[in-house]
Amino acid sequence: MNLYQSYADINIKLPQGKARYISKGNAGIRIPGVPDPECRRMHYPKIGIYAGSGTSHSWLWFVDMFDRMGFHAVSVLDAPAVRSGRLQQMDVLAVSGGDTVAIAEALGEDGARQLAAFITGGGVYLGACAGAYLVMNSSKPHLCHFNFAAVKITNLSKRLPTCHGMPHKFSIAYGCGHIFHPVREAVGLRLTGVPPFSSEPALLAPLYGGPGMLAPPEAQVLARYDHFTDKTVFLVDKDLAEETLISTAAALRVPMGNGQMYLFGPHFEHPHYHRANRLVANAVYRDSGRNPDGRPPVAVARDALELPASESANFIRSLRRELSNSRIVAAGFEMLPVRWLIGAKVYEPEKIRVFLDAMWRRLKPLEKRGRIWARAGVPDLLMADACETTVLLRRLKNEIDKGSDTDLIARTLFHLLQRNTMRFFELYFQTISNNLTP
Amino acid sequence: MEYLSTDKIIVIDLATSKIEETALDESLVSEKIGGAGITKHLYEKYLNDDPIVIGTGLLTGTTCPASAIGLITAKSPVTGKLCHCPIIYKVGIEIKFSGYDYIVVKGVSDNPVYLWIHDGVADISDASGIWGKDVWESTDSLRKLMGDDLIQTMVIGKAGENRSDYAQICYNYWSSPDRFGLGKLFGGKKLKGLAFRGMGLIEVADHENFVRRSFEILKEIKTNVFMTKKGIAEIASDIGEAGIKEWLEPIVHRHSADYFTPYATNTVVFLDEDPKRVEESKVAEPGVLISDIPALLAFKKLGLSAEDTGRALKACAKYGIDPAAVAELSGKSSLKEIVDSFDGLSGTVTLKGKGSFSPWCPLKPIFNDFGLSGDAAEAETWWERRQAVAMIFGIQPVFSVMCPELSEENMLELAGIGTELDLTQEILDRVVADLLK
Repeated sequence: MNLYQSYADINIKLPQGKARYISKGNAGIRIPGVPDPECRRMHYPKIGIYAGSGTSHSWLWFVDMFDRMGFHAVSVLDAPAVRSGRLQQMDVLAVSGGDTVAIAEALGEDGARQLAAFITGGGVYLGACAGAYLVMNSSKPHLCHFNFAAVKITNLSKRLPTCHGMPHKFSIAYGCGHIFHPVREAVGLRLTGVPPFSSEPALLAPLYGGPGMLAPPEAQVLARYDHFTDKTVFLVDKDLAEETLISTAAALRVPMGNGQMYLFGPHFEHPHYHRANRLVANAVYRDSGRNPDGRPPVAVARDALELPASESANFIRSLRRELSNSRIVAAGFEMLPVRWLIGAKVYEPEKIRVFLDAMWRRLKPLEKRGRIWARAGVPDLLMADACETTVLLRRLKNEIDKGSDTDLIARTLFHLLQRNTMRFFELYFQTISNNLTP
Repeated sequence: MEYLSTDKIIVIDLATSKIEETALDESLVSEKIGGAGITKHLYEKYLNDDPIVIGTGLLTGTTCPASAIGLITAKSPVTGKLCHCPIIYKVGIEIKFSGYDYIVVKGVSDNPVYLWIHDGVADISDASGIWGKDVWESTDSLRKLMGDDLIQTMVIGKAGENRSDYAQICYNYWSSPDRFGLGKLFGGKKLKGLAFRGMGLIEVADHENFVRRSFEILKEIKTNVFMTKKGIAEIASDIGEAGIKEWLEPIVHRHSADYFTPYATNTVVFLDEDPKRVEESKVAEPGVLISDIPALLAFKKLGLSAEDTGRALKACAKYGIDPAAVAELSGKSSLKEIVDSFDGLSGTVTLKGKGSFSPWCPLKPIFNDFGLSGDAAEAETWWERRQAVAMIFGIQPVFSVMCPELSEENMLELAGIGTELDLTQEILDRVVADLLK
């Protein structure tokens, strides 16, 4: 059976109140259908994905993974939502890649307090790449509020080594030192056999700037960097890359109060790495459960409304039109030699379509549901931003053709894409999860 | 219809701006196969609305060799008969990828409009900004407006707007196989044109077997000696035009093929740039793409130089007028006189063939004899059938008259593998007979 379908099959039953059980033992995740003293009853987790300031497009990888596996009680959160306490309604928070300092700055002290309360209260924190760096001890401005794990970063250096390629992706200032990225793309990992990562001995996952880690005593090492692959791109000398990464921790499970933090150097949630995805899902099943009962398993805002069928159909048709217009222009950019520096990150034209395609692919599932659930005004805001996206993309194309500086338009565009994609997934998961209960 | 299809037919009423979408029934494909078989069916269904039906072949846009074309089916202002005009270059496949197998355009718009067909969405848009512009300017405007240089267009120029009997629907910047005056129909409907772009995918029932067989057929095609040749001069030479290669060669820049077509049936000549230039030209409009062999030969027979022929073809493409009609009816022999004659052109053009298929495609076998005896009547019957089959499956018509390896049997086999339908020779014979009657 398809890996994702096997999870989706479980996740369709849990919200309907059908009992499924998970092993408590050390043999890894098993999902037997009958109770057993070594098992506990599973529940359907409410998941928050942080997509606010500082994130890149990679939060959409978590969206893809959870969506394909049928985890549909998903809320996409921005920094104000985290600061205002929305986390406390979640079982899981996922933070993926981006600019760690910008994420920390956006969340601020209030966000850090909320995050600490969430984890110590029994929440599961999934941090990949920037999401992993975020909660590591640091004295640096903004990051110093998130000193949750005494993890040492092996790719942190006072002096930058010589860069052998992709200088725009190579390093980022970190106080008086630099985080440098020894390699990119697929690396080989060896799993340590510690649950919930005990189902297989080794796998591949892509590294795009995440850390090599030295674990504190209280942490469990779940996976170590083992070898490089023919897909690995070296940004430093190969010996230095080996010295920096090989045998260091690639995935950790760090306890904090009643909760757990899973810290990933590579992107285990990347949609092309199915086996790594499975381990993330196993982690969610194993450790989430702080709010086991008494809540409807939906991600619907209290003030969400069901749109009439004709209004839903018109909305989807209009959104399809605008997303198509945007995708067509965006696809044309992918042959152009342009990229933009936004904050501390370099954005290539290909990233535009990651946002647009993430929405585009969900139009058919939404259409199948027939009726849309959304807070009042959200469909109009979505449409307005979708139209504005097309206008901006066409302007960007014209300016690129003229050879003009396009940094400002690109910055506005990516902000708009981020905002609208968040809005879309709020609507999407509200609509999908409303059909979960019988 | 799940496979080799977008499963969508769209009916656009320009009079009311109403757009209706329907699914393509599998039973219709089982009965009519596709392409001209279905465009004719749709034409007859909407006959009272004077429709123009745009469609794609069952194999269009697949790995079947030369599965490059779409087609326009409508009543020709030139012949008064129902005709099927191929949509070549990369325009035909873009129709399917943009989300529709068949597009029926009916009614007359009050104001100039164009249709923007993209990813399964059809928009009727105001064309006041491009009405009055020539074909090249119109395509440039549409591409700029939509922000994509890969948008494929079917537009009319001034000839169509002025409802000339010889108006062509042009594809992107270039002249087309339209010998039927279909540009006049667009003009009469105040339809400046259509723009297509889509990133759709085509599902194939048994995709591994389909690709395997496609490449086996391609491999077989490549063993034929004609595959060492390329360009229009070779074709013209093969059908008996002595000296054409030497005449054209000095201005030839390159040859180009339609989508997945193993022979390059188009030739680009440079008029305002060194033809031997390899790097990209800095001249905005250095030349012209030629696919129309009869028109090329007609200008040559008027005594024009190769360069002036290129300039005449370029002027025709911009104006959106059939170059073969211009060559035949203008009665002029200098470039300037020819170009000046566009507005006042009149008379009856000679169309070879029976009027269903465009004589833009040479009316005899090219490079191979297909086992024909040399009898003219036999060759005519063979050509009509070959065109009909090409129009049903979406095969580049010129390639279809040069490549015996792309047999009816092979096309039917691929269609069967691709759709899981039992498409037999008897069905094909029946559809062809219906098209030829």
